[in-house]
Amino acid sequence: MQARLTELNENEILLYLGYRGQEYPAELKEQIARCEKEVLAVSSPRLIWRRLSVDDANFSALDLEGKDIRELLEGCREAVLMAVTLGQGIDRLLARNSVSNMADAVIMDACASTAIENVADNFEMDLRRELEAENLYVTDRFSPGYGDLPLSTQRKLCAVLDAGRKIGLSLSPSMLMIPGKSVTAVLGISEKPKPLRKRGCESCSLFRSCMYRKEGKSCHEK
Amino acid sequence: MKNNIILDGGMGTMLQAAGLGLGERPDVFGMKHPDVVECIQRSYVEAGSRILYANTFGTNAHKLEGTGYTVEEVISANIAIARKAAGGKAKVALDVGPIGELLEPLGMLSFEKAYDIYAQVVKAGAASGADLIIFETMTDLYEVKAAVLAAKENSTLPIWTTMSFEASGRTFTGTTVASMALTLTGLSVDALGINCSLGPKELVPLVKELRQWTDLPIIVKPNAGLPDPATGEYSMGPEEFGQCMAEFPKLGASIFGGCCGTNPDFIRALAKLPEREDFVGTAVQEAENDITEVCRKADCPSGQNTEYTGKRNLRRGVCSAGQVAEFGGLQDSPRVLVVGERINPTGKKRFAQALRDGDMNYIMERAIEQADAGADILDINVGLPGIEEAEMMTRVVKAVQSVVSLPLQIDSSDPAAIEAGLRACNGRAIVNSVNGEPEVLEKILPIVKKYGAAVVGLTMDKGGIPETAEERIDIAKRILDAALNYGIPKEDVLIDALTLTISAQQKQAAETLKAVRHIHEKMGLHCVLGVSNISFGLPERSHITASFLTQAMCCGLDFPIINPNQKEIMDMIFSYRALSGEDVDCAAYIERFAGETSEKVTTVSVAEMTLETAVLKGLKQEVANLTEKYLETMSELDVINQKLIPALDVVGERYEKQQIFLPQLINAANAACAGFDLIKARIAGRGGESLSKGKIILATVEGDIHDIGKNIVRVVLENYGYQVIDLGRDVPVQTVVEAVLKEKVSLVGLSALMTTTVSSMQKTIAALRESGHPCKIFVGGAVLTKQYAMEIGADFYAKDAKASADIAKEVLG
Repeated sequence: MQARLTELNENEILLYLGYRGQEYPAELKEQIARCEKEVLAVSSPRLIWRRLSVDDANFSALDLEGKDIRELLEGCREAVLMAVTLGQGIDRLLARNSVSNMADAVIMDACASTAIENVADNFEMDLRRELEAENLYVTDRFSPGYGDLPLSTQRKLCAVLDAGRKIGLSLSPSMLMIPGKSVTAVLGISEKPKPLRKRGCESCSLFRSCMYRKEGKSCHEK
Repeated sequence: MKNNIILDGGMGTMLQAAGLGLGERPDVFGMKHPDVVECIQRSYVEAGSRILYANTFGTNAHKLEGTGYTVEEVISANIAIARKAAGGKAKVALDVGPIGELLEPLGMLSFEKAYDIYAQVVKAGAASGADLIIFETMTDLYEVKAAVLAAKENSTLPIWTTMSFEASGRTFTGTTVASMALTLTGLSVDALGINCSLGPKELVPLVKELRQWTDLPIIVKPNAGLPDPATGEYSMGPEEFGQCMAEFPKLGASIFGGCCGTNPDFIRALAKLPEREDFVGTAVQEAENDITEVCRKADCPSGQNTEYTGKRNLRRGVCSAGQVAEFGGLQDSPRVLVVGERINPTGKKRFAQALRDGDMNYIMERAIEQADAGADILDINVGLPGIEEAEMMTRVVKAVQSVVSLPLQIDSSDPAAIEAGLRACNGRAIVNSVNGEPEVLEKILPIVKKYGAAVVGLTMDKGGIPETAEERIDIAKRILDAALNYGIPKEDVLIDALTLTISAQQKQAAETLKAVRHIHEKMGLHCVLGVSNISFGLPERSHITASFLTQAMCCGLDFPIINPNQKEIMDMIFSYRALSGEDVDCAAYIERFAGETSEKVTTVSVAEMTLETAVLKGLKQEVANLTEKYLETMSELDVINQKLIPALDVVGERYEKQQIFLPQLINAANAACAGFDLIKARIAGRGGESLSKGKIILATVEGDIHDIGKNIVRVVLENYGYQVIDLGRDVPVQTVVEAVLKEKVSLVGLSALMTTTVSSMQKTIAALRESGHPCKIFVGGAVLTKQYAMEIGADFYAKDAKASADIAKEVLG
């Protein structure tokens, strides 16, 4: 399986830009299209993943804490660890535009967020399809920092995946991922289909920063 | 003659098979189980390895933190193990990998800190008796540079370096093969090459590329093919590996080993490799006698005052990590490289002000502008009375290379500033300049040599600028001789025959051109000229400048230093390249000019538009035009307060009501900025004091590097007429406090994106309060809420950029 970046969802980009039913003028549409092109041009999506038995020493080394991840992996004999990134080109593009054209930078940031979610979603889809052939099912994907899974899991996850060497993903001392547009996650593999949770707030990577949640709402209630 | 040197193979997988747990440190494991490591390494010696990599790949202060071991004891123990395993049959290398934390500008580790970490490793390795130092599996050229400098300045051991590339020919951080070769050959490492990353088949084109850019011994240490992504198993067996590796001696490589997925059987397969065919024999001596000699490259022909032109027909140039400006051939295939001159305070009040204020954003904008306009190299000059030049050079070089990837030209006469610039430069630079004065040459050329830079020599000396071409040529010869004496090849010596102003010394234009022609044709050197000086004091300067530029290029000028933002001048460059044949099939010319006529400029006439509409629609040119119109009848302050600010207020209100998107708010702010800039330039032009409604300090707190939110706030506040001092991201608590005390601001804005970094926001606020300074503090960032902001002691919570403008208005008026 390879990292796949497919067409970006325009609605998702607008959502990142704070869509609340504003008028969507043609100039803005053009600006977004131009920025999207630049983002895609500098993206080099990369994927690393490992399929492990939950009894594997490598898996125990992750030391996954919390109720949420226990629930996710309940009844799973295997799990998949994944990390995807768009690469450093995006970070450089954003740094440059933060100086020369902030409006473009904001839009590019939204496009890049959409893009990395797209790569993560595509992997999940490919994995589901591949495991279907073995009559196995894949749970939701769950990232360090979601729910009660501590952010510090990030470091162990990256170590087990050798993410620095394999896809150039590194962590700052405060657990920020560099390149910035990257996603790491754990997924369970089960023999019986497990109910996938609705793509609700807690499994959304915007969980912490979502402007809807701050107002006590959620994007799917809109 | 036996030329090939065989290295060892993979270590990690063999250690894991021998009981190394996941997440366990291999170097610490080695200390606890010396026999296991020794056994693996001995099997490599038996398989034919002449150089063993000690089990010190990840040993550094950063990675050992919390293990209870020191760098010195881990390195000394592991070198001793390798020494024992070698049994006198192999040399032992201190093996050094990446630090494990990303360097600036994308990461948070400073270049200087990285240097310190490597210096400790190098000293420990040298003290433990390593025979050479190998930096391997590197992906960031800046980190390699820190490492190599640390090795050169803290030991006398030979230095080898290898980096890991993707099939695209770039590392994860965007370093190209050519940039690696230029930079490291310049820094005079003893051998360089590629390890890990890919299998031998995939490395063939990369090694071919590498050979074109360096004459140093080349190392190839690939993986055993490509891994299966799901299982991590590598695809190749020893025999196939050996067969594939046989390609490399033909390409000029001479040092071979294996990386991930290889074992002693793979190394055994390397014994059968053919010897390098075109071997030049400079560095690799008789390998069987003394392998230490093998590790060290032959010295440059220092002291040989000859026409030293390197050993082969190499491609040459200067570079950043991701981009090369390739020099043209000296006699054939010339190439014009545009050096952008705009990062220079001379005669530029606004730029000088930015330097005094430490306003890196202004300088970065100048860099981006020139890059967009087509500059190939950026000249960087920060010399200004009252500014500590070396320190500022480091700061500006780092700022510029964080936003553009053009190679740099370090412009100063101060040796300390030159060295600071060369050190901070991520790549290989040009030094501008030396002159014919022996004292200057003695001071600066050793620095040029140390960092492997190219150098501009001005044809002047204590006696000033000679009037005749002949005298200038004499000085050029003196400069060339001196450079050759220091081992700087002639391809890296660029001569500036100096442009004088025709309005003052009209006959000098012909002398300059005569000197350029001679230096190019007879001496075979590259030529530099600061072109625009020719027209100083004349009306419509660009006619004269463009005409002189063309004539000079015809005479052999290939490094014009110009303002690339002047369209007419750049048009001339594109035309010249098309005529000279450098621009093959006129492709660049066509791309620049095709469609230019059909593109209609759709500026609405000023009369039809209000400033409010122009700002709202984000139309910069219109805003500037309207501002200019208002300035005919209104004072600067009135235009700001009665026109620009009210227009921005309308936009802000619409944003607040969620009628427009954030980018539209920023577009509007940018457009308003065109008006503010015009006014600022006018005031600065007549030497007036800066027009500011008050100073505000902004910072993204320590530990946090996501600063897009803070940048948005900066743009909006600036466009509301406030002077923003942007301390950047990952700003230590103390730096914020010091800046607040020094600048005497009454408003500070702090940003944090992550829960993990809100705590450092809280610390910053506490420290500010403790300092007794009465400033007001506003905070913002994704994880904050109003309540949370109050809990950590802030005065205001800014939910967005518009809110921060409202806060500024409340505090500063």
